[in-house]
Amino acid sequence: MANDRLQACPEQSSSSVSSRCFDNHGIRGSPTSTVIGPSKHRHSTLGDPNFVENYFKNSRLHFIGTWRNRYRNRFPSLSNGFTKSHSNVSAGTQKTPIIHIDMDCFFVSVVIRSHPELNDKPVAVCHSDNPKGTAEISSANYPARDYGIKAGMFVRDAKSLCPQLVILPYNFESYEEVADQFYNILHKHCNRVQAVSCDEAFLDVTDLEGKDPQLLASAVRKEISEATGCTASAGIAENMLMARLATRTAKPNGQCYIHPERVDEYLDQLPIKVLPGIGHGLAEKLKNKNVRTCGELRLISKDSLQKYFGIKTGEMLWNYSRGMDNRLVGMIQESKSVGAEVNWGVRFRDLQHAQHFLLDLCKEVSLRLQGCGVQGRTFTLKIKKRRKDAGEPAKFMGCGDCENLSHSTTVPLATDDIEVLQRISKQLFGSFHIDVKDIRGVGLQVSRLESADTSRQAPERNSLKSWLMSASASSKQQFDINRIAKECVDSEGKSVGGNSGVLRIASVENSVHETNNAPNGEGGSNQSSSVPPLCHLDMGVVENLPSELLSELNEIYDGKLVELITKRKVQGDKSTGSACFFPPEPAQVEEAERSRNSASVSLRRTALEMKGTQHILEELRMVPDSEARPDSVAISTAGLENNDLVPSSLSQVDTSVLQQLPEELRADIFEALPAHRMPEGTALGPRTDNMHPPLGIKTATDNQPGSTDSGLSNNLWIGDPPLWVDKFKVSKLSTLNFFVDMYYKANSAESLSSILQCIIAESLHPLNARCDAWNEAIHSFSELLMNYIKLKIVVDIEEIYVCFRLLRRLSTKSQFFLEVYNLVFPHLQASVDENYSGTLHIPPIK
Amino acid sequence: MPNSKPKSPFSGKMERKDNQSPQGEVAGILVEFLEVAITSVVYLKGIYPSGAFERRRYMNVVVKRARHPQLREYIHSAVSGLLPSIQKGLVERVAVTFFNTDNIPMERFIFKLMVNQSFGSKVEESDLEFSLRSFLIKLSVSQSLTTVLPRDCRWEIMAYFRSLPQVSTSKDAEMWIPTDTKQWQQPPLITPIKSMNSEPLGLQLYLEHPSPAEQVSG
Repeated sequence: MANDRLQACPEQSSSSVSSRCFDNHGIRGSPTSTVIGPSKHRHSTLGDPNFVENYFKNSRLHFIGTWRNRYRNRFPSLSNGFTKSHSNVSAGTQKTPIIHIDMDCFFVSVVIRSHPELNDKPVAVCHSDNPKGTAEISSANYPARDYGIKAGMFVRDAKSLCPQLVILPYNFESYEEVADQFYNILHKHCNRVQAVSCDEAFLDVTDLEGKDPQLLASAVRKEISEATGCTASAGIAENMLMARLATRTAKPNGQCYIHPERVDEYLDQLPIKVLPGIGHGLAEKLKNKNVRTCGELRLISKDSLQKYFGIKTGEMLWNYSRGMDNRLVGMIQESKSVGAEVNWGVRFRDLQHAQHFLLDLCKEVSLRLQGCGVQGRTFTLKIKKRRKDAGEPAKFMGCGDCENLSHSTTVPLATDDIEVLQRISKQLFGSFHIDVKDIRGVGLQVSRLESADTSRQAPERNSLKSWLMSASASSKQQFDINRIAKECVDSEGKSVGGNSGVLRIASVENSVHETNNAPNGEGGSNQSSSVPPLCHLDMGVVENLPSELLSELNEIYDGKLVELITKRKVQGDKSTGSACFFPPEPAQVEEAERSRNSASVSLRRTALEMKGTQHILEELRMVPDSEARPDSVAISTAGLENNDLVPSSLSQVDTSVLQQLPEELRADIFEALPAHRMPEGTALGPRTDNMHPPLGIKTATDNQPGSTDSGLSNNLWIGDPPLWVDKFKVSKLSTLNFFVDMYYKANSAESLSSILQCIIAESLHPLNARCDAWNEAIHSFSELLMNYIKLKIVVDIEEIYVCFRLLRRLSTKSQFFLEVYNLVFPHLQASVDENYSGTLHIPPIK
Repeated sequence: MPNSKPKSPFSGKMERKDNQSPQGEVAGILVEFLEVAITSVVYLKGIYPSGAFERRRYMNVVVKRARHPQLREYIHSAVSGLLPSIQKGLVERVAVTFFNTDNIPMERFIFKLMVNQSFGSKVEESDLEFSLRSFLIKLSVSQSLTTVLPRDCRWEIMAYFRSLPQVSTSKDAEMWIPTDTKQWQQPPLITPIKSMNSEPLGLQLYLEHPSPAEQVSG
């Protein structure tokens, strides 16, 4: 019987509404039972606490949207089955017969199988049969379509067109059953099936040589009809585009073969809107160019098309208008985003109510992500907001005239975790600042998808635990170091957390998740997701956590955490006075020496030159320093990979931001960041003038007007290392030697502020006791300072400002710095006044 | 209003000619940057309700852009009018000054510019952008350094020229009028916010507040 319909005439235009077209309409199922009759369920978020769940349970779009998963699970090998080479073979062959097969008004046919008396009657599927209702028709059979009934129409309008229209509810179980039967049959006949939807597929029958594709199509259709009681139509052509267009001609319950030679003829009068990929907007634009049919479209050159519509769309238009389509059957397009949206029945009482709804929506999205086996990084929350002047929508509980708002955020680690989703969407929701009563629809979309298999390696509940893990990993390494360095117990090295502290301020990202994760993306990935043992926690970090976080952590550790902190506090108080000394193990030293950069040579030479009482002290400081260095290098580069805003050296850290940080955190940052930028960082971090060691200074000097008019020469800062370093190094004054040490500790920093920061970080420095030649030391250092002011005052008042704020802090701790400060301060203000006609405002120390 | 005004920085990157001098290129970037930075300052001071601004991304930093066309146009035309003078190195400072109702300056944000006229090599745009970006980031966290302004403040953009531009040579300069703004009698207190130097551009941003001795006259 099917053969009669072969080569159906192209002019025979059937209704262009196929069941797939409905996907574009905003048809939503409301909670209904499967029994025919008006639903007794609650119709909005107001009455139903499980609205979201019920909503999706009864949504046809949801059924279509999630159907693919089901299919994948059923035919796992088949759905992504064909090898590349295989596909290429078929691409090469000229005649690749493709069959497109599509069930006829699937959603209606399936339902009326059990009502044979309705076969010739106009029937539509809709979730509500209230004749005055504003529910939308989801699918109509051909007799109904003859009355002009279309999908998306309100029931009341459909009823007025055709009063005898029978309206039936969805039957999702049957849909599933029929879809499964449909695909079983297809897979039986052909091993290359590309599923398009639950009721539509492409078959590549190249391999089935000797079999007439037309005969095959009719056999398949017959079998489908017998097994499911529903009819299907088929289109046969040499590519997917033409096969699909052929099906359109073949419907209902027919099949159509378009011979390659007749393609042009077929397309000539075909309205362009029929082509897949040409939506309303594109059709409208083409109409403005007087293009309505494929024949007219063919008259436009490819170049012009690409110019008007972009490379891709232009090429597509050009190809399609010629019936060309080089897509291969089986190339399943991975979806680019996963999400869920509810635009019907959304009415919120208050914020809490809306939040509850949001959490449920996240649950749904999380399940969908997991169902698809993907995780995403970008989260977009869409909200439909009632327009101010919009009245109650025509559609009952519909969204009406709305503004579409959306906010999105991107996190560094892909996730499908429901808690993370909830946190992110809560945050996004907060950023709308919207009266919840005006919300008519909410959707959450997840994009930048990654396969869950690859991202599984990252810890599942990534944020807090992995953050802790990496902090503990680095603190483990630094633990010994810090003990040796006699650091105050509180400022135990915590590099990663320190980074994140800076990051939090420097980057204006609005995502807490990101700040938590960014620095440890690298480090966290190898970690297992279990909670680190208590002893591995970096207590310096833990103590600085906000109290809510701390208590949350404390719960994870059954309350032992707070106990430990109290214990530590007591111990800490005792041990600050008496630091314990562990001789560095030879192996460690060796390794440290190997990994040192160029500064190591002079550093060790300095250490060797140390004499007398200073000797032990110096060694104490030097050794841990050289050990700590490789650590911090690794950490700072890792940080750079994740976010180009992480400063890679102290010289890039904004010191006034730094000064706002708590003392401990600041000390950590000093530990974590090398004072000077590492060469590895250059790829991402653009350079600053500090980058070119001797050069930058020279240029600055040259630029400076009147650099020669003073008795002071500013050449103390010229050279690499600057002249003063050599000068101070050979000095007999231990105070001056100390500055040289600090210079190297700051990793040969060019900026004085970095050196001063190192001095502040050094809890133990020899500048408290009045020693030999006190005045001479003060004079030398003051001269250095004045040189520096001269050097920087014109180009970098910020640096001067930072230095003097640091000096001011130092002056409260050390008589030496107090005297220097008082000596240089008038000179500073004179310079500022000369260049800026003002007074530098150094805020008092609290 | 200048005839050939550069595109607003928010609408995309300015097209720069390849044969431009480094000074011209830097001036272009700087003018663009100043428009964003001045908007940020005005936003930071809360002169207008925050709803008068919208989020935008510039140099990969989230910044604010004025929604009101008049506000936007004022800032845009003021700074783009400076373009030729900046290029020639004539502009020394650009100040954003906030006045109280008695027209007494309360706070000034000073952008101090230095365009090295003898610089001849190619401008590393990425270096420049990196440095400028740090300005924007710093600016957004600098609220604590600034004073709280009284209600009904007024503000304006002022430029200090090393020498006055010839009116005939530049149409753009016509928009600029000599100011008779009240000045402080005492040297102000200076609080630096950010300094950078990326050849051929040196840029510093600092705050000026009236010195305590000034209060008498206010």
